[in-house]
Amino acid sequence: MYHSDHAKSREARAKVIEFTRGLGVHATAVELDDAFNLLEIAERMRADVRRERSAGATVRFNIAGGTRLMSSAALLACILEGIPATYVHDDTYEEIPLPLLRIAYGERLTPKQREVLGFLVKNREKSFTETALAKALGVHKATMNHHVRELGMRGAIERVRDPDDGRALLIRAAPGMELLLG
Amino acid sequence: MGTRALVATFGFDERRVLPALRLLAYDELVLLAGRDSVKAPGFERLRALEPGLRAVPVDPFDLRACLDAATATLRDLRRRGHPARVSVSGGTKILAAAALLAAFQEGAEAWYCDPEPVRLPVLHGVRIVDGLSDTARDVADFLRAPTTMDRLVARVAHCGFDGRATRAAVRELVGHGLAELGLDGGKPVVRPTRILSTYRKHFPRPGKA
Repeated sequence: MYHSDHAKSREARAKVIEFTRGLGVHATAVELDDAFNLLEIAERMRADVRRERSAGATVRFNIAGGTRLMSSAALLACILEGIPATYVHDDTYEEIPLPLLRIAYGERLTPKQREVLGFLVKNREKSFTETALAKALGVHKATMNHHVRELGMRGAIERVRDPDDGRALLIRAAPGMELLLG
Repeated sequence: MGTRALVATFGFDERRVLPALRLLAYDELVLLAGRDSVKAPGFERLRALEPGLRAVPVDPFDLRACLDAATATLRDLRRRGHPARVSVSGGTKILAAAALLAAFQEGAEAWYCDPEPVRLPVLHGVRIVDGLSDTARDVADFLRAPTTMDRLVARVAHCGFDGRATRAAVRELVGHGLAELGLDGGKPVVRPTRILSTYRKHFPRPGKA
């Protein structure tokens, strides 16, 4: 059970834990440091899901509670990991299974595109022009231009003006691409 | 480049939508909004700013209806060659969750602008349904009740798939949790799961994206 550090959320957590205790069901509460940081929450949820699964647990997610960003992060984690997700309606308590399947985004890229994106993700703190990127990965400039264009069309990278050279474009991985490659 | 569309969820407060309108460039604006929302002053103020906006009325507390409307809107825009982005900052949480799921399903870029822009990490054009082969989609379409494997193979043969392809497709569906395999009187039986019933109408038939 994920919740924010808001007083109301903590109060609700205590009630849920008391309720589940009455049912004899163990509940673990996870307080999120920042309930409005979507990518951080999705990463945390994904890691937890993977840990539970490797321990042999069957996982499903109810995405109805929490902030809007928490629900969205949960939905993203469900899609990346292929976990059944449900939305339990606040008023009717109807359990609505969501039609989703796992998307292995990384597998939709060619091995070379994955390598380029993986390199950019690993070196987020550095800036690369297309030429520098080609040199770093040992490919021809024209080949790198092709990979960069393909990744750009997929929305996997961003191009920004070099503050030191107005004519040059710097390439960096789009936010959250770690999640797609992980 | 074709006309760019922005699909935004909308409740009653136009201020939840305005950051997306300022930050995400678009040529066409579509609002997914509750039926009461389109009569609200906030909607009128938005229309004054964007006279060309199109509203798609939904029941914002019915997740299935919201998902159907959002998916249909995105498919329609794609058919017309208009790449769409989705902003889910406005409206009910149900409407936002449905619009987000539709964006994932259809491979559309999804954003939160509340007010800082956050883009959800997806690859453009990668749809959920692409994870299933054409054969699996065809088999899923036939699989509406428990049936023996032999009968399923015979039925799908009309589509040009041989027994081996059909069995591979069934294994694929089982792997995605869309079907279950069992034995009945010693014969292999394939059963659709509840998820398949929910999911079936959301995947376009092969070749009919």
